[in-house]
Amino acid sequence: MNHSPATGVPAAPGSHRLRWVALGAIALALVLIGGVLIYLSPVLALLEPHDPSPGRVAGVPAATPPPLDSKQRINILLLGSDNDQKFRQDALLAQTMIVVSIDPSTHQVTMLSLPRDLWVEIPGHPSAKIDLAYAQGGAALARATVEKAFKIPIHYYAWVGLNGLVRVVDRVGGVDLDVLHPVLDDNYPNDFSDSGYGTERVYLAAGPQHLDGRHALQYVRSRHGDLLSDFGRSVRQQQLLLAIQQRAAGMDLVTALPTFAKDLNGHVKTDLDLARLTQLALFMRDLHPADVHQAFISAYVRDATAADGQQILLADWTALHAYLRQLFGGDLLP
Amino acid sequence: MNRRFAAVALSAMLALAGCTSSTPVAHDPGRVVRPVKQVSVPGRLYATKGRALYRFSGTQLTRLRFGSRVKDPAVTLTGDRVAVAQLQDQSSTIVVSDPNGQNRQVLTPSSAAAGSLWAFAPGFDRAGHRIVYLTDRGKQPSSPQNLQPNDLGVWSYDLTTGQSRRLVQPVAYTGGDSDPGYRPGVSDQLIYTTYLYGGVPTEPVARLTWMSLRTGATVYLSPETGRNFEPALSPDGRFVAFIRAGAGSDDLYVMPLVPTYTREPRPYPSESAALIQSGIIAQPVWAPDGSAIAFLMLTKGSFDLFILPIGMDNAIHAAGAAQAVTHGSFLDADSRLAWSP
Repeated sequence: MNHSPATGVPAAPGSHRLRWVALGAIALALVLIGGVLIYLSPVLALLEPHDPSPGRVAGVPAATPPPLDSKQRINILLLGSDNDQKFRQDALLAQTMIVVSIDPSTHQVTMLSLPRDLWVEIPGHPSAKIDLAYAQGGAALARATVEKAFKIPIHYYAWVGLNGLVRVVDRVGGVDLDVLHPVLDDNYPNDFSDSGYGTERVYLAAGPQHLDGRHALQYVRSRHGDLLSDFGRSVRQQQLLLAIQQRAAGMDLVTALPTFAKDLNGHVKTDLDLARLTQLALFMRDLHPADVHQAFISAYVRDATAADGQQILLADWTALHAYLRQLFGGDLLP
Repeated sequence: MNRRFAAVALSAMLALAGCTSSTPVAHDPGRVVRPVKQVSVPGRLYATKGRALYRFSGTQLTRLRFGSRVKDPAVTLTGDRVAVAQLQDQSSTIVVSDPNGQNRQVLTPSSAAAGSLWAFAPGFDRAGHRIVYLTDRGKQPSSPQNLQPNDLGVWSYDLTTGQSRRLVQPVAYTGGDSDPGYRPGVSDQLIYTTYLYGGVPTEPVARLTWMSLRTGATVYLSPETGRNFEPALSPDGRFVAFIRAGAGSDDLYVMPLVPTYTREPRPYPSESAALIQSGIIAQPVWAPDGSAIAFLMLTKGSFDLFILPIGMDNAIHAAGAAQAVTHGSFLDADSRLAWSP
């Protein structure tokens, strides 16, 4: 007969079996947790801190991300750089800057493109084109510059290089885009040549079509054949973001996230944490094209020449801030 | 460690929330797939996939051996000759062959003094004596230090004399013109798309353009804003099918076309065009007898080939539902279709 060792009272029938069941359940849970950790390890690696200077710049308002269960607006600064061989990898210009603003309360997303030639005050540095902020101080300075100039609180950033963009597009199986104009460029930078200085000829017909990563990059990057120059490029970049979102919306998140992360490690940097990333991925899944709004500041800037002869854009900040208040309501910094 | 716990918790959340998609993203199967219930294609309909040329006829599908990558097939009225843009690494040429891709003849040069050349979108005239096409021939040499435009203009090639000549000078830095085609039934009219910029704030514009080859005069058939493109003339030359970009869609419209214009018509003919099919549609082409329009339509992440019957009693209209000729095939939506008897 079985007895309880503590009391000497005979154990109830089946208590040993219960203990084994409990132990088995714990072991199974540990195996599952271990499995999940191994499975998600690429995602965790991608989300490790990347920026060597992630701190804020002194004296600049810093935006704290709202809690996960909040309905407050979340702003993400998307940065894109030419990171082929011809540039110093620790001093890349941010040739693409887009604020993606997510409003969970209205289930709306706004994409605001910031032109790279815009002349701004860069905290702690002389005034310069906005694309220089990332080269001079990484994501922290780019974020601080945007917050100071535009009064938009930036909660997170995500940086992607050329290869990263190509991989993202290929990973979602290509994108479906309506190419607005024929794209012709006899001097398109051959990003993946050994020197980084080569050029190649590019042609994309106009109209709806399916593009792989390489051709999608050509579409958003070429500007020699576009009279709208950088503004034209901003329109195309937002088009591509929308197309990626629509394509990714049909993907299986459970299986896609780790594979995605493995592909992108080294080509993407972000300070988004896993919880927020997952929350945003779930949010984006249910997003309809009509919920996404494209915004540009072309009506509030004019061409000018800097003292050193650079071609720049100067903003009418009063009018621009009024426009931003229309876009973001009371969610701007004071 | 918190990060690890968050990972586990979120994975469980994801799994429990049923985040596996009910409509998985389609990926290119690498071949042309036909639906279980196959549509019989009257005549011979040409399309490309992965830059290879395919011919649909009845329920038969044939891959034509061109020996290289091609796009933009065109065919004569009788179907005895096919033209394509043959792609090389950094250039392309117009090539004519018999319907099986044999007896090929290269018509246009792949390079000139200014460098490599593009040539795309060939189209035969009714007699099969001339080809209209796009090229950047005539451009200035360009380098990163001395950028020059290389927009595509409309040219013609005379198959009897072997002479080429420019018909339309493109506006610089617009991408140039596109989708040229002779008007059936007459020998001196051309329809194409002009790419421009317009509106406030400035945005890309695509305008349907009619040209008299006799006088060189051009008339716009669509407004100075918006994008109306990829015109395709009916076999009798009385109607133009085209694509109009809308909010998140590229819909198929058809408008009538009077024999000649002496001045710019207002309202523009495109404004009274009939909506024939909604969706994300590309590359319309008429059946040789005018009874249907074939096009490529984005369906579940893939551009597939559809045929839509057209009725002309009282007003032009869709005479039934579009029928899918392919399914999940990822056909090249930037490449034209061609259809012969």
